[in-house]
Amino acid sequence: MSAILVYALHYDGAFNKNSLGAVSEGSRLAEELGSECHAVVVGDKAGLPDELCASLGRYGARRVFRVEGPEGLAQPVVDAMARVIGEQGHGYALFGGGLLGFEIGAGLTARLDAGVCMEVTSVRVEDGKLVSERPILGDSSVSDVHYRAGVGVIIGRLNAFEVTESGDQDAVVEDVALEFEPHSLRAKMVSRGEQRGADVNIEDAKVLIAGGRGLGKAEGFQALEDLAGAFGGAVAATRAVVDAGWYSYSAQIGQTGKTVAPKLYLAAGISGAIQHKVGMQGSENIVAINKDANAPIFEFSDLGIVGDLNKIVPKLTEAVKARKGG
Amino acid sequence: MAVAPIEFPPPVDAAAEFIGPPTDAEDERIEVGVAIVGGGQAGMACAIRLLQLLEDDPELAESLGEVPVAVIEKGRVAGAHQLSGGVMNPTPLRQLFADDDSWPHFGEVGRETVYFMLNRKRALPLKPTPPPFRNHGNFVVSVAELNRWLGERAEEAGAYVLSETVGAKLLVEDGERSGDEASGRGRIVGVRTGDKGRDKDGGRKSNFEPGADVVARATVLAEGCWGHLTGAALKRLGLAAKDPQVWALGVKEVWEVEQPLDRVIHTLGWPLRPQSKFKEFGGSWIYPMNRAGETPRVSIGFVVGLDHADARLSVHDVLQEFKLHPLVRRILTGGKRVAWGAKAIPEGGYWAMPRLHAPGMVICGDGGGMVNVPKLKGIHYAIRSGMLAAETLYSSLKAGSTDFSSYERAVHQSEIGKDLYESRNMKQPFGRGLIVGGAITNAMVVTKGRLPGGHWPTHRDSDQPLLLTDRDKRYPKPDGKYTFDKLSSVFTTGNATRDDAPSHIRIQQRVPRELAEAWKWMCPAAVYEVPEDAPQGSEHVDLLVNPSNCVQCGAITAKGGRLTPPEGGDGPVYQVT
Repeated sequence: MSAILVYALHYDGAFNKNSLGAVSEGSRLAEELGSECHAVVVGDKAGLPDELCASLGRYGARRVFRVEGPEGLAQPVVDAMARVIGEQGHGYALFGGGLLGFEIGAGLTARLDAGVCMEVTSVRVEDGKLVSERPILGDSSVSDVHYRAGVGVIIGRLNAFEVTESGDQDAVVEDVALEFEPHSLRAKMVSRGEQRGADVNIEDAKVLIAGGRGLGKAEGFQALEDLAGAFGGAVAATRAVVDAGWYSYSAQIGQTGKTVAPKLYLAAGISGAIQHKVGMQGSENIVAINKDANAPIFEFSDLGIVGDLNKIVPKLTEAVKARKGG
Repeated sequence: MAVAPIEFPPPVDAAAEFIGPPTDAEDERIEVGVAIVGGGQAGMACAIRLLQLLEDDPELAESLGEVPVAVIEKGRVAGAHQLSGGVMNPTPLRQLFADDDSWPHFGEVGRETVYFMLNRKRALPLKPTPPPFRNHGNFVVSVAELNRWLGERAEEAGAYVLSETVGAKLLVEDGERSGDEASGRGRIVGVRTGDKGRDKDGGRKSNFEPGADVVARATVLAEGCWGHLTGAALKRLGLAAKDPQVWALGVKEVWEVEQPLDRVIHTLGWPLRPQSKFKEFGGSWIYPMNRAGETPRVSIGFVVGLDHADARLSVHDVLQEFKLHPLVRRILTGGKRVAWGAKAIPEGGYWAMPRLHAPGMVICGDGGGMVNVPKLKGIHYAIRSGMLAAETLYSSLKAGSTDFSSYERAVHQSEIGKDLYESRNMKQPFGRGLIVGGAITNAMVVTKGRLPGGHWPTHRDSDQPLLLTDRDKRYPKPDGKYTFDKLSSVFTTGNATRDDAPSHIRIQQRVPRELAEAWKWMCPAAVYEVPEDAPQGSEHVDLLVNPSNCVQCGAITAKGGRLTPPEGGDGPVYQVT
């Protein structure tokens, strides 16, 4: 049966949330296929202690292949994954998304002459094989992608795969010695910084407070920032208010912005047009505050409040602070 | 005082901004033989016909260089911006493909019925079917689909289809140097493609790519209904006709239905209002799209002339209202909407047809006003004009000339000129209301345009003074299942216009409320919004503009603004419209 190999990105002693999502998804699929999910990690040995690698077992990985090499660069990982797949015969390579995942996935596809599908939002098992689902035409339809080649490469959309702890066993850590291709060592990591210059990465935030035109004016975001601060979350915005110059583009959610799936998404003064919905519908809990009871957002929110957000949001901030303080 | 959109013209001087000499250094220009702007039916037919002729003439083909024929298409793929009601006269297409009948269609028109919709409950079938509505021998097609097929044929024949590329500026060489007959207005020598990767203020983003001068021995403008370069060329080169061009706006949906529809349906009347002060001229179509092995579908749409007076007339919402009629419900109930789109239609007819050539250039299809309004046909004229243009270009280029005036004669001698002359006055009488206008037009049809004869002039759509009524109270509240709002409709087009790009829509700001509302209601894609806190009464209003919703239908150009192409690849990706 075809085993699944996942690349797990680490930084500063922890695995990236999307990578853990990919490992969790890979394990779920492998179980359905009757095979195993394995992970590849690449980096400085000191940054990849045994316990850290073995902890991927909690997300269902059985084996972890550790390769000593430069961190955070694509080509060395392509070398590592091509070698592991060549030796172990994995049927699929899975990535959690993000620019690095896209780059590695593309490189690996070219190296192995594999089949690839990117921006995948869901994967399912059909007749003992994996089928990727990819939204197309601005998310208005979903296409099913089947793999014909020997190896199928699946690159998820950011936040597509949920992190789930499914195992309590440690993964078996195996060191793989590898001569990198000469071209793989030509790029050097100069510095690692926050994505796209955003203060807070809204894609990783557990709590998002999002504002729309219902705020009335740019200053309305101050109250949202206070609330986000109380929660320890981040502030997001709709296209309309970014257009109006009320908030920065890096915080834009929706069809032409970012796709997010926090634990709590609080929509303040957002009507909830489909173009916005596609960017946040994966959120676990959606709370909407809007003065228009007919706003579409209420059709897909878990809790809807019809009222004046200028009064409700500050009260909510106080309540959250009180709760956290006490 | 009633306000007309024309009093608030867009801040743009098309003749100056969109036409000019090449600016790239000579060795950086892209040289092609023939540059065709627009990969619609006209542009693709022109490319295919030209390559057919060049195939038998390798000498001329070689003299046109490495790229004898290039098609510049702004959509993501050929067909992405194509939308039509969808009944086509197949004659020119069959002549273009004498031994290939594999073009995609939904069968020949069988039965057909025209209804006069008396009110929201009752409909009166008009029998016998009025002559302009007879469609025997015609085929139901999806131009979005047909165009993909035409694009493949053109590429097989050797055309370079540059999709996601905008024809932004017409390149002209000044008059003295060209020495051509058409006075000192200059010779067209190609087009400049649009820049990519500019930010909102026009600055360069990190992925900025400048456009390029594409120089050509001949340039074909086949831009469709709202021709960006065509509009500029008409002004700068003095090609405009006696009458201004006028447009209608069509909004269309495609539905999967439970029962295949067994006929072609057209309607007149409700929900449009018959009183002449509203100037609501238009009607609907419902066409079957049945194909073996596929879920049956129907194409349904509503068209209204853009010279209507009521600022709160919204063709999108009129279509939603129209769907509530029991006649329509019977067809759609149990079905599912699978596509939506909108497009303007040039309705000026014969008197509004511009001169179709200038030195180095020809105009084809909708951009040349080649639509037969009473018969609701234009696809076959687009194909015919593209073929005729190819034939003229071929013989002129062979003779080493860039005088393409024989194309104009060929168009006027073909069915295009003949049909359009017959129907030359047929739309204008409807300015007098549906009943009187209908009677006058019937007389014209019966006498093939000889009675009452003469020249019935047309006024610009933007000349029409605006009224504010409570028209909007009649529109149904969208339920998201059977009736739809504008935003979710735009979503189904796959529109993904980059929203940190410069706005491609030029309108005046600080306009009277009537005009602001007219743009808001007119636009099927919710591009214009009147802010909630905008002043009421006589104070002027600033609109909120959402260019990234735009499906490039062209209505704003008719009604007092100016559409320009956004970045190449932006806009809808129509599949079955």
